[in-house]
Amino acid sequence: MFNKNRRTNDMSGYNTITPEIIDQIKGVVAPNRVYTGEDINEDFSHDEMSIYGKRMPDAVVSPISTEEVAAVMKIAYDNNIVVTPRGAGTGLVGACVPIYGGIVMDMTKMNKIEGYDLDNFVVQVQPGVLLNDLAEDCVKQGLMYPPDPGEKFATLGGNVSTNAGGMRAVKYGATRDYVRAMTVVLPTGEVVKFGSTVSKTSSGYSLLNLMIGAEGTLGIITDLTLKVIPAPKEVISLVIPFETLDDCIATVPKFKFNHLDPQALEFMEKAIVQASERYIGRSVYPQVIDGVEAGAYLLVTFDGNSKEELDDVIEQASDIVFDNGAIDVLVADTPTKIKDAWAARSSFLEAIKAETNWKDGLELLDECDVVVPLNQIAPYVKYVYEVGEELGLRIESFGHAGDGNLHIYTIGDDKISVEEFEKKADEFFSKIYPKATEVGGLVSGEHAIGAGKLKYLAESVGQKQMDLMVGIKRVFDPKMILNPGKVCYKL
Amino acid sequence: MEILVLIKQVPDDSVEVTVNPSTGAPDLAEITPVVNAFDTYALEMAARFKEANGGTVTVASIGGDEVDTGLRNCLSVGADKAYLIKDDSFKDADSTAKAYILSQAIPKIEEANGAKFDMIFTGLEATDYAGGLTGPQMAEDLGLGCVTSVIAVDPADNGVTIKQETESGYNVVEAATPVVLTVTKPDYDPRYPTMKTKRAARKMTIARVEGLDLDAAKTAPATKVVKQYAPPKRQAGVKLTGDDINEITMKAIGMMADAKAI
Ligand SMILES: Cc1cc2nc3c(=O)[nH]c(=O)nc-3n(C[C@H](O)[C@H](O)[C@H](O)COP(=O)(O)OP(=O)(O)OC[C@H]3O[C@@H](n4cnc5c(N)ncnc54)[C@H](O)[C@@H]3O)c2cc1C
Repeated sequence: MFNKNRRTNDMSGYNTITPEIIDQIKGVVAPNRVYTGEDINEDFSHDEMSIYGKRMPDAVVSPISTEEVAAVMKIAYDNNIVVTPRGAGTGLVGACVPIYGGIVMDMTKMNKIEGYDLDNFVVQVQPGVLLNDLAEDCVKQGLMYPPDPGEKFATLGGNVSTNAGGMRAVKYGATRDYVRAMTVVLPTGEVVKFGSTVSKTSSGYSLLNLMIGAEGTLGIITDLTLKVIPAPKEVISLVIPFETLDDCIATVPKFKFNHLDPQALEFMEKAIVQASERYIGRSVYPQVIDGVEAGAYLLVTFDGNSKEELDDVIEQASDIVFDNGAIDVLVADTPTKIKDAWAARSSFLEAIKAETNWKDGLELLDECDVVVPLNQIAPYVKYVYEVGEELGLRIESFGHAGDGNLHIYTIGDDKISVEEFEKKADEFFSKIYPKATEVGGLVSGEHAIGAGKLKYLAESVGQKQMDLMVGIKRVFDPKMILNPGKVCYKL
Repeated sequence: MEILVLIKQVPDDSVEVTVNPSTGAPDLAEITPVVNAFDTYALEMAARFKEANGGTVTVASIGGDEVDTGLRNCLSVGADKAYLIKDDSFKDADSTAKAYILSQAIPKIEEANGAKFDMIFTGLEATDYAGGLTGPQMAEDLGLGCVTSVIAVDPADNGVTIKQETESGYNVVEAATPVVLTVTKPDYDPRYPTMKTKRAARKMTIARVEGLDLDAAKTAPATKVVKQYAPPKRQAGVKLTGDDINEITMKAIGMMADAKAI
């Protein structure tokens, strides 16, 4: 099981784990929370996008305190062993996959909500708390934790490390806007605290903000202080069918222009809505209205302090969308109707996954989550479909229209081999990423870089910026042992 | 056909309800009233019937002015007319008393509408106290036939053909009209109001049915609530452990059989 010459065979220069090192780890973390060999669950070899590579770790450690994380990290540092932090493993870019083996630091057992400070509107949590658990707990306190990425069973540590966005980002911002402070174990095993409860700072470089979106490459987050807000009293959602995607997307900036501030503003095309409704077995989105066929939809949510206020808002919103070619406006004004209207949207990825093919243990599915200026959404999406057609690839797309963030999926059919699919997907992305950069966009809006997007990030931002990022990583992680192969640093 | 759908406004059942420990009664003050879910199925079934076969759909409810909200919502999802049956003395009415009040109000509504109803829909039950009594008792008071747990209705030569849900499937029932149907969840969901239908509904009037000549003895509640209390917390289950999965499974089955659960 262990490689005696202490060198991995992938020429990475890292040491492999020996039984002696495992014993050392079991000296600082209860042995029943240290796993090796057969005891390691296969899940630890991948995240939700297996196409970016799979690899089993040599050991999995499930710490329950900052001290344990620090002690394990120190052992890894002293022995030059790779460590990959991992939350719930729901990532979409392979970021938590231990591509160079070594230790996976499983943060899910650090899952306590430690308490609220209602004078300062913050909550303190361990990083393994699931988004769903915090969201539900906040509701009980009359509060809201606004970041709302689609996957509710991800950890908050994972959300912070990928700077997850989600449906409500258009009004409330992404995870970054809700992180006040954190405790971090550095790759050397030292423990530091970044940020504080306070709401503003001009106190030097923001190391706190460097950690957000760092995908576990700079340090391991062991405690978080997050901002919460009083929960809005009322919400209402509108499902708005349009004949064409162009009309649908052209309407998006009109809301803000008219002083309306939706909490969520999503666009979706007919095909994916139908696939998703098939998948969940429910039909909310009208396909033909007064003889006109819907080609695309907006799903919009407004929040406010009273029903009357929202009645006014939806009146104004309806005037705007009808002026811009909406065929109809469906009103979801009860919790059940709102839930049902969002059910189809929330199931897009699962619906796509239900129709994908698997070959050699890999799912023939690849995605990109570029973000482009609002006025570029429609022409960009058109371009993407043209490239897909040219290459004979099935493409599905949807996105957070309010912030120009698109989710574009390519799906391999049952005839294509893994190699062929990878080659075609690569060709596809080699066209659409540069195009996004060309129109003023960026590689990732919210899913992050991981291993899967590193190459495209380098092409988009250029060598100088990549060098700066690698330089920053080296300051935090002199031996480059923490989650190598991700974001900016490739062996 | 002329269809009447009777609706009740109830506390939103998608919200968790807590019981007030001192009174034993549920705390409902903060919960938004909504149209009872089964009544929304009944209205959707009526609206679809009308769209396929012609006719009109009228909704009615017993209650105070606050029920206008629910009735107006109905006008935006398929109802053509709405009536509020209003009298301060109805506040304490139980299912039996409400059935009586409805049986007296319906002829007045028919008079105002200028046509008799062919079908009267209620929900199978209201999600607040889940009695399921009002529809059948009202049918009795009106001297009409009643079919419960209806999931579909279609016109037939001498009335209507009805699908009635049972525990193992469904019965097909033929009924002469007028008839009372209590409706359960069909295999579709109620439609969403649209801005166009909401705007139209806002302009419609909700007529009042007032000053009914009622027998005071029959509007008084026939039942009395003796005590309200929260259901006891469920006991923790029994955990069986061991190495042989078959053995443990058989043991679990044995325990369930002993408890007459299977
Ligand atoms: C169905 C689905 C829908 C989604 N929808 C959205 C969406 O709408 N918007 C959006 O923004 N995202 C979305 N996502 C992505 C989602 O936000 C991420 O998967 C999630 O944030 C990752 O959390 P995780 O706990 O699973 O982390 P993992 O996948 O386990 O890890 C992700 C990264 O975080 C690092 N990490 C985890 N914990 C720590 C820690 N304590 N310290 C340091 N580093 C750590 C890992 O090393 C890795 O680099 C979706 C994902 C799925 C599967």
